[in-house]
Amino acid sequence: MASNEATIKEVDNLQIPDTYQDPSVNKVIDKSTLHKMVWRSLLLQSSFNYERMQGGGWTYSLIPGLKKIHTNKQDLGFALFDHMQFFNTHPFLVTFVQGVIIAMEENKENRSTIRGIKVALMGPLGGIGDALFWLTLLPITGGIGVSLSQQGNIFGPILFLLLFNAVHFGLLFWLMNYGYNTGTRAIASMRENTQKISRAATIIGLAVVGGLTATYINFSLNGTNGSFAIGKMKIDLQAGIIDKIMPALLPLAYTFFCYWMLKKGRSPLTLIGITLLIGLIGSFFGLFAWPAAIK
Amino acid sequence: MHDVTVLQAILVGLWAGIAGIDQFNGLTHIHRPIVTGAVIGIILGEPTVGIITGGTLELVWAGMVPLAGAQPPNVVIGGVIGTLFAILSGLKPEVAVGVAVPFSVAVQAIITLLFTALAPLMHTMDVAAVNGDTKKMDRMAWIEPVILFLGFFIMAFLPAIFGQGVVTAAVKAIPVWILGGFQAAGGMMPAVGFAMLLKIMWKIEYAPFFVAGFIAAAYGKLPILAIALLAASVAAYDFFINRNNQTPTTPAPAASADADEEEDYSNGI
Repeated sequence: MASNEATIKEVDNLQIPDTYQDPSVNKVIDKSTLHKMVWRSLLLQSSFNYERMQGGGWTYSLIPGLKKIHTNKQDLGFALFDHMQFFNTHPFLVTFVQGVIIAMEENKENRSTIRGIKVALMGPLGGIGDALFWLTLLPITGGIGVSLSQQGNIFGPILFLLLFNAVHFGLLFWLMNYGYNTGTRAIASMRENTQKISRAATIIGLAVVGGLTATYINFSLNGTNGSFAIGKMKIDLQAGIIDKIMPALLPLAYTFFCYWMLKKGRSPLTLIGITLLIGLIGSFFGLFAWPAAIK
Repeated sequence: MHDVTVLQAILVGLWAGIAGIDQFNGLTHIHRPIVTGAVIGIILGEPTVGIITGGTLELVWAGMVPLAGAQPPNVVIGGVIGTLFAILSGLKPEVAVGVAVPFSVAVQAIITLLFTALAPLMHTMDVAAVNGDTKKMDRMAWIEPVILFLGFFIMAFLPAIFGQGVVTAAVKAIPVWILGGFQAAGGMMPAVGFAMLLKIMWKIEYAPFFVAGFIAAAYGKLPILAIALLAASVAAYDFFINRNNQTPTTPAPAASADADEEEDYSNGI
């Protein structure tokens, strides 16, 4: 256990080099590797947690491709570690991102370029996917199935599954090939500009992370308890003060608090512990909302 | 009124376990109430009631889908418990919904807890990643699905065998502030993930783009796609400006870069 923790600490302070020990480019990705990655993408959320979301499952889904591309063990390790960072997109569109990224990995693009493109793609695709699948495909196929189910017809659920999965798996495989081909073509036209492409990708990536910070982090005080009274005037801390200063102020502040702690050499595990403590202590004093239906 | 045999309760639990995995991994949607209702109906020997109840519960959960990572009341346990009690106590599907929703809210709280508690696992996986130990990563990918399977098995098996009253009492025994605390921590936790991304990507010259993205989302309420497209426009502008204003530092590489650029143009056209 002690030695294990020492390694976690080493890994936390690891700098990922931008280039590779073995920069040779070989065409090693074939159809069967791409298809293996499609099947693995079904486990995209297998390590889901609130710190990295799909990061672990995303890395898991890339393993067949990365193993073929990075025969140098150190290159493979840094590539895997790089992909372990925060990742979240729509599970039905993820194969497109996989295709693009694996084409870039195959071409041994700089790690910062790959990272930037990955972050720039994941957020927007997540939003499109929610609208397309959860709010369109599911209600349509569900509605068709339910109309049969309500007559007690067993073909209700069967038809629902067939329709839904025809679209689901059709998209997964098609998008993987489309993403890989797009990635390969795009790389061919941007060969000499990698430095500048990397810069552009970082610009988009950081803007997306800025947007995600404002929308994905759920950190606000409970209206009834998170308030204080001055004489007869009751002031709601969240709506009355914090939101007036700046919307999403607490998420932004907490993100930079975490960033600052990481810079100071604190480990992410410490930060998770601190987050849990804040949640529990705050909740005990009624600063955060409680789950409604089991009050 | 039906009685549930131990075998039937186990089968209900097994189905809930499989559906619990499918809700997050695989996503073939066998976990939706429309399918689960039929399966529970078949297990309990009342397929028609199961199918009809499943259809009604499907409509209830039609709007409750995971958007931007936020979890609605749990659809798996809602479908299983709803159908179970519709068949066992002869409740109308619409009434069974009322019984099912509190359970699914409780289960959702437990899943929030799980997704919070499993964050440290990532750091063990980090070590395996750096060591290039893909075998270990492959094994670790199954930890959470197995926990989900066992959890959903238990949460469906217990109500099936003991009935609704006992389980509701057990759920209420958990202090609500603890559940609230885990929920709050789970909501805050992406900040740790973003901070780690920033540690890798952040350079002070790029700070304005982070700020612009934040403002566009926080004040402008723009969707992430719009923010990415705006940033892409700025990035493209920056890219072309830089390419045209390139001042050669050393003659030899610049010459070759120019040659390649010409080649690129001809390829592009």
